[in-house]
Amino acid sequence: MARIRFDRVTKRYGNVLAVDELDLDIRDREFVVLLGPSGCGKTTTLNMIAGLEELSAGDIYFDDDIVTFVPPHKRDVAMVFQSYALYPHKTVRDNIAFGLKMRGHRATEIEQRVRDAAERLRIADLLDRKPSQLSGGQRQRVALGRAIVRQPAVFLMDEPLSNLDAALRISTRAEIKALHQSMRTTFVYVTHDQAEALTLADRIVVMRDGLVQQTGTPDDIYERPHNTFVASFLGNPPINYLPGALDRSNGTVRVRCGDFAATLPPALAAKLSASGDVLLGIRPEDVTGAALALADGVIAGRVGAILPSGSDQYLEIRVGEADYFFRVDKKAHYRSGDAALLALDPTRLHLFDRSSGRSLLYGA
Amino acid sequence: MTTAAPALSKPAAIDPWRRKARLAEWGQRAVLLVASLLVLAYALGPVVWLVVSSVEDEAEIVSVPPHWLPRRPTLQNYRAIFETPEKTVTYETSSHKDPAAGGYIPSTAKNLLPGMANSLEVAFAVVVLNLLVGVPAAYAIAKIRFYGRSAAVYSILATRVVPDIALVVPFFLIVKKLGLVDNILSLIVTYLAITVPFTVFVLVGYFEALPDELDKAARVDGCSRWQALRHVFLPLAVPSLVAVVLFSFLASWNEFLLALMFTQTTASQTLPIVVASFASDFTISFSFINAAGVIAVVPPILLALVFERYIVSGLTAGAVKG
Repeated sequence: MARIRFDRVTKRYGNVLAVDELDLDIRDREFVVLLGPSGCGKTTTLNMIAGLEELSAGDIYFDDDIVTFVPPHKRDVAMVFQSYALYPHKTVRDNIAFGLKMRGHRATEIEQRVRDAAERLRIADLLDRKPSQLSGGQRQRVALGRAIVRQPAVFLMDEPLSNLDAALRISTRAEIKALHQSMRTTFVYVTHDQAEALTLADRIVVMRDGLVQQTGTPDDIYERPHNTFVASFLGNPPINYLPGALDRSNGTVRVRCGDFAATLPPALAAKLSASGDVLLGIRPEDVTGAALALADGVIAGRVGAILPSGSDQYLEIRVGEADYFFRVDKKAHYRSGDAALLALDPTRLHLFDRSSGRSLLYGA
Repeated sequence: MTTAAPALSKPAAIDPWRRKARLAEWGQRAVLLVASLLVLAYALGPVVWLVVSSVEDEAEIVSVPPHWLPRRPTLQNYRAIFETPEKTVTYETSSHKDPAAGGYIPSTAKNLLPGMANSLEVAFAVVVLNLLVGVPAAYAIAKIRFYGRSAAVYSILATRVVPDIALVVPFFLIVKKLGLVDNILSLIVTYLAITVPFTVFVLVGYFEALPDELDKAARVDGCSRWQALRHVFLPLAVPSLVAVVLFSFLASWNEFLLALMFTQTTASQTLPIVVASFASDFTISFSFINAAGVIAVVPPILLALVFERYIVSGLTAGAVKG
């Protein structure tokens, strides 16, 4: 059990800044997901927790102890790698037992713990095989087994699901979540898959270019993004942006984008101090088909492509010169070329500063 | 109910084609067989002649056409090497026999076994030290990022393009300054200078091909760097270690130039030097030289047989990544 604290941690590779003055406090037994595109510094951050990368500046604490210069084999961490990194020359049993052996546990205890871990992951019948004789999903389980058998204070996972096929990925996701609940230990999980982050995390840390963009619960991150990067990175298809302008009159605030305008609800309007040019963000799911072309809050456009997704359908709507994606009920019938009217939910609007991309509604 | 497939009757027109295809196949096999026999004869011919002539006498060895099977097999050359190392042979004692009739033993015959012992000592030391130095060096270069890493790689590569002969004089000066002339240490030190870069080069290629995540996994699992090397990388690197062992053994076993420069007496002379000395005697006995040659190739062949199944995978290790 451990709390992990980053104190102004910087990591440089030559001239490349991988992580820039990171301050982060991961609570004991928390499931934190580091989310971001490749090259954002999330794996470097994970490796620094493990001790596999040296820090260029700053300190890392486990509880109240500085571990900055503690080598990985003396930190109580276990890690699951994207490629699984199973020892090819060892059997599954020896792979799982290796960490315990290196830490000098007694043979009987090792045997018992390996068996428990294997049974829990349903790989008990594979113990005498070599990794090359296993399928991808089985290897993944062995990698998990190797980590859980140690009962570490900190459990690190570096994109553990990205080599699995889609169905297996969903079911393993659920197992990892169950594992976290039963192990009652701190999990730090790295991924670039927003769906994985949203389902697994107690808290998500969105990173980009070595900088934390936003930290918060999955709900916070999705519903109240602090900037356009976070807003775009979560959500599939991504959020739509319409350039517009804020318009204040008689105590109400309206956002106007070409022919379309919407009045902001008072709760949102109260948060706004700025006026002038903004970027309006609308998530694809925050609209419903409208019957009438009201002057307020209804987008009028023409249907381009129709993309059914099974449970819903996505419409490509051309408004003026730009194309946007919106999600509508499957029962609504649209044909390509039809005029479409979509009413948006004004409580779920996002407004961003056009030059900095910062949210005008949420965040500092 | 299933309907039986109609019996396939062979159309007569296909048969000539089939016969042709079969003929072509046999022809191909025959060509391959002949070609491989030729290669085999080319490669093994000299070795066979070496072995055969070592049990012939001087007269038979020069017979035309050569006798591939000795008509008067004799072990006199081997007996000379193993039984009479102390027999003093001079021009006077050897010349009352006609050298062509056989029974002639070079004056330095007694040096052969000490030379072989020297060779084995040198080769063994070179192999062991190569592994002791090369393995950690290669692991560090392949898996640890440190300042001067690429400089180390390039300087190691650079030493491989310098021909050995260019190093003879500097080496000799160093060896002389160290007082190691006519001491097998001089050979061990200089052979290491030549073989270690190659060892490191081969092993770096092999270690680099092993994923970094394996190293990380081992260290998170509780291994120090040394333990990761010992428990994870060494077992996986066995084929390339075998290649390195064979290479460094053969390099020092066969080395001639430096040994010629640094050695003077049986205190340090290695097998190639001793064998070469047989050819600079009053009279040259080729059958005896060949017997010495047979003895000289036995250790490398034994080594190759022991490690046979690893050799090919070791030599190509690291050639193709991924």
